[in-house]
Amino acid sequence: MGVARTLSVALQGLSGALVDVEASISSGLPLFKLIGLPDTSLAEAAHRVLSAASNSGCSLAQSRVTANLSPAVLPKHGSAFDLGIALAAMAAAGRVSPQSIATTMHLGELGLDGRVRPVLGVLPAVHAAVASGVRRVMVPIGNLAEAALVPGIEAIPVASLREAAIRHGGDFTPIAVEPVLAAPAAARAVDEADLSDVIGNEAAVRALVVAAAGGHHLFLLGPPGAGKTMLAERMPGILPDLGEQAALEATSIRSLTELGSVAGLVTRPPYEAPHHTASAAALVGGGSGRIRPGAAVRATHGVLFLDEAPEFQAVALDALRQPLESGRITISRANHQAEFPARFQLVLAANPCPCGQFGVSDGDCSCTPGRRRLYLSRLSGPLMDRIDLQIPVDRLSPAQLRRGDDARGRPSAEVRELVTQARGAARERFATLGWELNGHTPSRWLTDGPGRLPRRIIAPLENYYQSHGMTMRGYIRVLRVAWTLADLDGVATPGAEHLGAAIALREGRPA
Amino acid sequence: MTAAVDLTASERARLWDRLRPGRAIDDRELTARVVWSVLAEPGDGTVGRLVDELGAADALELVLRRQLLATPTAVRREAQLVAQAVGGEYAARGLEPPRGIRAGFLRWQPRMSGELIESVFRMAAASSAVLLLPSDVEWPQAAADLGENAPLLLWCLGDVAPLAELDRSAALVGTRAATGYGSHVATEFAAGLAARGWAVVSGGAYGIDATAHRAALAARGRTIAVMAGGLHAFYPSGNSELIARVARTGLVVAEVPFGTPPTPFRFLSRNRLIAALTGVTVVIEAGLRSGSINTANHASELGRPLGVVPGPITSPSSAGCHALLRDRPSSVVTSVDEIIALAQGGVAPPDPLAPLADPDDPRYGRVRSALSRRAPRSVAEIAARSGLAAGETAALLGVLLLDGTVRKTDAGWVSVRDAG
Repeated sequence: MGVARTLSVALQGLSGALVDVEASISSGLPLFKLIGLPDTSLAEAAHRVLSAASNSGCSLAQSRVTANLSPAVLPKHGSAFDLGIALAAMAAAGRVSPQSIATTMHLGELGLDGRVRPVLGVLPAVHAAVASGVRRVMVPIGNLAEAALVPGIEAIPVASLREAAIRHGGDFTPIAVEPVLAAPAAARAVDEADLSDVIGNEAAVRALVVAAAGGHHLFLLGPPGAGKTMLAERMPGILPDLGEQAALEATSIRSLTELGSVAGLVTRPPYEAPHHTASAAALVGGGSGRIRPGAAVRATHGVLFLDEAPEFQAVALDALRQPLESGRITISRANHQAEFPARFQLVLAANPCPCGQFGVSDGDCSCTPGRRRLYLSRLSGPLMDRIDLQIPVDRLSPAQLRRGDDARGRPSAEVRELVTQARGAARERFATLGWELNGHTPSRWLTDGPGRLPRRIIAPLENYYQSHGMTMRGYIRVLRVAWTLADLDGVATPGAEHLGAAIALREGRPA
Repeated sequence: MTAAVDLTASERARLWDRLRPGRAIDDRELTARVVWSVLAEPGDGTVGRLVDELGAADALELVLRRQLLATPTAVRREAQLVAQAVGGEYAARGLEPPRGIRAGFLRWQPRMSGELIESVFRMAAASSAVLLLPSDVEWPQAAADLGENAPLLLWCLGDVAPLAELDRSAALVGTRAATGYGSHVATEFAAGLAARGWAVVSGGAYGIDATAHRAALAARGRTIAVMAGGLHAFYPSGNSELIARVARTGLVVAEVPFGTPPTPFRFLSRNRLIAALTGVTVVIEAGLRSGSINTANHASELGRPLGVVPGPITSPSSAGCHALLRDRPSSVVTSVDEIIALAQGGVAPPDPLAPLADPDDPRYGRVRSALSRRAPRSVAEIAARSGLAAGETAALLGVLLLDGTVRKTDAGWVSVRDAG
């Protein structure tokens, strides 16, 4: 009869809190009781643990076991506590060393046969453990790659509860089991898509490159079949590799959302293209017990592509305003809240009208003007305000198609090199200022700060802005894009032609 | 007239070094002018003549009485003596003496207190102001048009350089009770003037004044606030932050010494200075009894062009404007270009902005000759016609668009003027 204690982690979003897992065996009727604010999947741990333990040669079925997860105020969910609960109970029963488990953190779900299965969120959990001073963590063998990404901690992979117990000094006969591994992540289609596949549409390709280089949000407007999706899919390919911090964040999010699919650091920008029926919760995240990140979070440091943007629910689109503004998403529930990074590059695509034929040279639009206006006005002003580049995409004419290879763009790898250089120049310029991309530049820096252009250049723009009813936002957007164009040209500050090109891009705007 | 001040010569020398960096320092003249500015209200014509004709120091020596004059009789007797002494001095120089010396002495005598004068020097010493005299290069020459009512000196906070270039300046004045319309117009005009390099001059008051200053500051232009009181505190206090900003990036000017409170009379004399200093006075909104009407009257008396912004005939905030249009030689102004044309005598064309397109760059000519005035063309088409890359063409078109020489329609680009 005794008490044993070990460690585990409860995750809220990407941040984790250390949880003490205690188990006590006392006299009384056989019972397995789990307390300490578990959710449903965690409450079922009792069945998994009892079955796994008896299949690992340590039956607890005849004992009265109380397992407690503390602090009790912290909501806990999921099956990652199984391994910790089982080992604490076995230690309380005297079958493994209580000292050994007390200093080790345990993560892992148990199968009924005693095998240890991979769980979600191992990377952020191990991170939290290191931050709390834990030096040893036992993880499912299927999650080893993730745990190994965190420096400063010894990660012990185990395939079964029996193996874990032996590791902790338990006297069991080793039995080799077939380890449970997660299915390897499939190669992404967007990594194959190359910019040189795009024929014609030079202006849109140019806009795509500018958007990538400056981190500008992009709106593509054109009839069906013009190649909007094709362009958007090529955006991740021309973005540079993720930096160390970004890669860690992106990997953490993948660890939280895709079971055991992390084979190493995620270095290529993510790409998320949710369907237009997606709810607000699907876009930004939600859930009542465990808060799950949505597509916008999974797209962090990558591209969030919303095809048929006006078809999305207005609430879903407007839910994107917070992340577009702050680069983070906070989801609050009555008893807890979770914060996720969500600094993505937004690409919207829309047809010019419900039938999609408006403005097409040989098309015949059947929409009334009112319906047409209503269609695009579903994209709210505050959302469109945050989009620096609005670009029309035209359907290719047969003549352009015939030109074929001549009209092909440059390959993605070449463009990525260019984008990387431009981003480097911007990062250097903003090094001490707290942001990295022209798309994130606060307007103050452009109008009153060191980014103010010389009078000779700015006066004609101010004049134009006043005489053409341009909004202040529009004016700022032109300046932001001009800086990106200068970075792409490798020039220190934008000149007349950069401003001209930025205005020309803006004047191409569909709305 | 250095004896007027209880500061030692070295104290004064340090003071002048602070107040007049890099400028000529004539202790006697400076002291006398400052003392005169304490004794007399701005625009005192008698003082103006005395200082002009006898010199500030010599005139002060004749007039100043430091001793206490206990009774009105004693004061009157002293006034008689002063008038005689001044008359004698004028006679010696073969000049006709100004009238009103006696009356003047009665006005100045109550302020002939060592304490009062010294407090001005102490406050000046503690400030970061610059003291300008008419002999300085920065002195606004237009002030001379006020004749004997011209200021004796100017206390300045900020960059004094624009004072010498006030021929390119406009006074934007108006009511404190500005309507949305008035504020909008003031903003547009101030920003437009600032964008063309013109200085926006106003009085720092609430309403139109503040809006004009703010817009000029926001447009990174030059703006000058002329204060009715001394520079020891900015009036109105609700605008002190704004006026402090004007002092940091523009200029705040006062004619009266430190410690002088703004009183109704001083607002009127301040208005005369605003009208005199600027190339044109524009009244944006004014009620029938507004101070801006006073500024406008000064402007037209000085022969300065007067622009008036009309408003709804039902708006009391525009009633004064309409009265001016009716009763004074004035012009309706509706745009910044009209203000500038008015200031330049209505003949010179407004300053065009320097074009963004480099005139020596042949590519602009190629793009323009590829455009038509009637048939809109796409970027690709223009690129093909001009033999330039598409991206380059778009950039050049954008530059020409900003210059207003091309236009973008839904169907494509067209030229506004004939190519070439």
